[in-house]
Amino acid sequence: MRHRFQAFKQAPWRVQVRLTSGSMLPLIALLIVGGMYLAVNARHARAGRQVLNLQGQQADLVRYNAELGATLAELTSPERMYQRALDLGFRPAYASEIEYILIEDYVEPPPFIAPRPPASANPGEGTLSPAYTETLGEWLLRWLGW
Amino acid sequence: MDQGPSRRRIRMLLIFVAIVVIAMVVQLIRVQFGPYAPAFAAIEEIVAEQVDKVEPTRGLIYDRDGRVLASNVPLYYLEVEVRQLTEVSKKQIAAVLSQILILPFDDLYGQLSYEWVDEGQLRIRLTREISGGNRWPITVDQTVADVLKGFLADPEAPDLSGMSLVPAPSRTYPAGSLAGHVIGFVNQKGKGYFGIEGYYDDWLVGRSITIERGYIPLEARLRPDPPAGVNLVLTIDLDIQQMVEDILEEAIEGDKAESGQVIVMDPRNGEILAMAIWPPLDPNNYEPWLPPEERLEEEVSEDEEEPVINPAVAGQYEPGSTFKVVTMAAALDAGVVTPDEEFIDTGHIEVGGHTIRNWDGSAWGPQTMLGCLEHSLNVCLAYVSSEKLGASLFYEYLRAFGIGKVTGIDLAGEVSGQLRTPRHPDWTESDLGTNSFGQGVSVTPIQLVSAVGAIANHGVMVQPHVVLEVVGPDGVYWPKTTVLGQPVSRETAETLTEMLSQSLSGETNFAHVVGYQLAGKTGTAQIPGEFGYDPRWTVASFVGWGPVREPEFLVFVRLDKPETSPWGSVVAAPVFREIVERLVIMLEIPPDAVYEGWNTGD
Repeated sequence: MRHRFQAFKQAPWRVQVRLTSGSMLPLIALLIVGGMYLAVNARHARAGRQVLNLQGQQADLVRYNAELGATLAELTSPERMYQRALDLGFRPAYASEIEYILIEDYVEPPPFIAPRPPASANPGEGTLSPAYTETLGEWLLRWLGW
Repeated sequence: MDQGPSRRRIRMLLIFVAIVVIAMVVQLIRVQFGPYAPAFAAIEEIVAEQVDKVEPTRGLIYDRDGRVLASNVPLYYLEVEVRQLTEVSKKQIAAVLSQILILPFDDLYGQLSYEWVDEGQLRIRLTREISGGNRWPITVDQTVADVLKGFLADPEAPDLSGMSLVPAPSRTYPAGSLAGHVIGFVNQKGKGYFGIEGYYDDWLVGRSITIERGYIPLEARLRPDPPAGVNLVLTIDLDIQQMVEDILEEAIEGDKAESGQVIVMDPRNGEILAMAIWPPLDPNNYEPWLPPEERLEEEVSEDEEEPVINPAVAGQYEPGSTFKVVTMAAALDAGVVTPDEEFIDTGHIEVGGHTIRNWDGSAWGPQTMLGCLEHSLNVCLAYVSSEKLGASLFYEYLRAFGIGKVTGIDLAGEVSGQLRTPRHPDWTESDLGTNSFGQGVSVTPIQLVSAVGAIANHGVMVQPHVVLEVVGPDGVYWPKTTVLGQPVSRETAETLTEMLSQSLSGETNFAHVVGYQLAGKTGTAQIPGEFGYDPRWTVASFVGWGPVREPEFLVFVRLDKPETSPWGSVVAAPVFREIVERLVIMLEIPPDAVYEGWNTGD
């Protein structure tokens, strides 16, 4: 006790440093955890922004695709195709000009089947890696194997 | 050792840290409990979690070969965040839009300069004036949207700060008015009207969903897709539809008729291959066809007649002589007459006190039942219904043929027609005579097609339908053929088909198609009005099917009020022939001689 008192008298800054470091350590630890949390959240937010951007791009592409589909349908409408055929020098055949041939075991082409509605390709909740969605607590529990 | 400076530094550091911590705590307390706490809470509510309504894509409609009949394209609304507007951007937005969209500058500038914030509106949708001072949101297509987006992204371009383009799906019909009455249309609010769009509206539209997305922090979560509307494949063959519409239009112009309809059906399964209506409906410009309650008052003039949407299913008329097919079928099936049975035509017959005469007013003398059909004798058919069948049996057969009932075709707006039976208070005995040749009874074209289709299909009556295939998120569904009943036996149907095939060649040469044996019947019906039948106008029609060896098509033609000739044999039969001449090629039906050659091995 006497030695300690003497040491304080000789170098009082040692105790102050010890006290300061003792009080700063939890603060630093808190800052580190906070920083990590902030970093994870920032990553999360960035990923969210990316998802939003991608969804925007997807919507744009779907719209563009619909626009192209409508234009294509318009360009290949029977009236236009008929006019193009006439312009190319074709004309409708008369019944007397057609020769019918019986083909044994002829298999008719399969009927047209419309594509499934595009929005139903990804029904229900979206699936993302848990890396983007799990909380720090969940990550800790997973890391500790609990 | 002097520790003074070191101590001061530590103290200062501690004081600095303490000040920062205290400032943060004070700010937290201020935000949480201070006078602005409710404002911060409101902002948090708005921003922290936003509820988005996600609309599904409306299902597409295809013809039987996969050609798109109804599709979705984006249109854009022009919206403005009023707090972001500057004096320069107000002028430049108004100037650019008035130039591109040819809209009045003052109107646009007025909207942009109005004090919306005072009314609590921070975001507005720009509108344009339509008739009668009403306003409608401005929409622009993809091309204009691309130009405006280019301006928004270019710092050198006009300043459009505050304006944004908000996409909204819009329905488009690439084939224009082709099959317009069959398809129907979708209004600006996304509601389907008439035809397929109206009948299958609930299936096509899908189901919108609301999702909550956290923005503080921004949630990294994929958006769930709303259950989409189904895609529909129709039985309509667009090539046949185009051909039929072209021929109908020519006939309407050539015969100076007021309107007309053609239906082409496969009698074996009820598939409608084409349904042409004149005047046509362009679903891309549907406003004139909107129901009156949906239209602006000033657009509906007082003397304007309400247009009948798809008269093929909703337009009732008295069928005239085409109805004799049903009467004769009933008599043959009941066994009260045979094809060779003789009838002496005196030129008139009295039924229930009402004198019935032939179409030409003359007496045709001794006739077989075949001759009665060939010469389309009203007196003979009235004799068959009143003297041979009797009211009970006659109306029982009419019911079995679906007269007075809707067929159940999957098109919106079908009506049942009118059939007065002896139970009806207004029925008189004379109706028994007039109904036999299609007077005093009203049907829709699709009803007649369905009834006569039973004769073509060996006595089995199938439900006409327009949807071939339904493709939903869960898979593909093919609606099955619905048999509505068997009003007459197979033998009766085949006998009558043979009779109508023979009588057709005697009745009119205009329906003859080289190489194919066809059956059919003409019709010339008077038009009932408030004061009896109109002496000036008729409904000329024809219903026929073929090839008789194994019917694959049934064609119904109706022309209303033709000016060149009142007779179905003169104006409607040639339309039938012209259609069938093309139809047998498009359906790849070989001529009878070729078919027989295959069967006999020649």
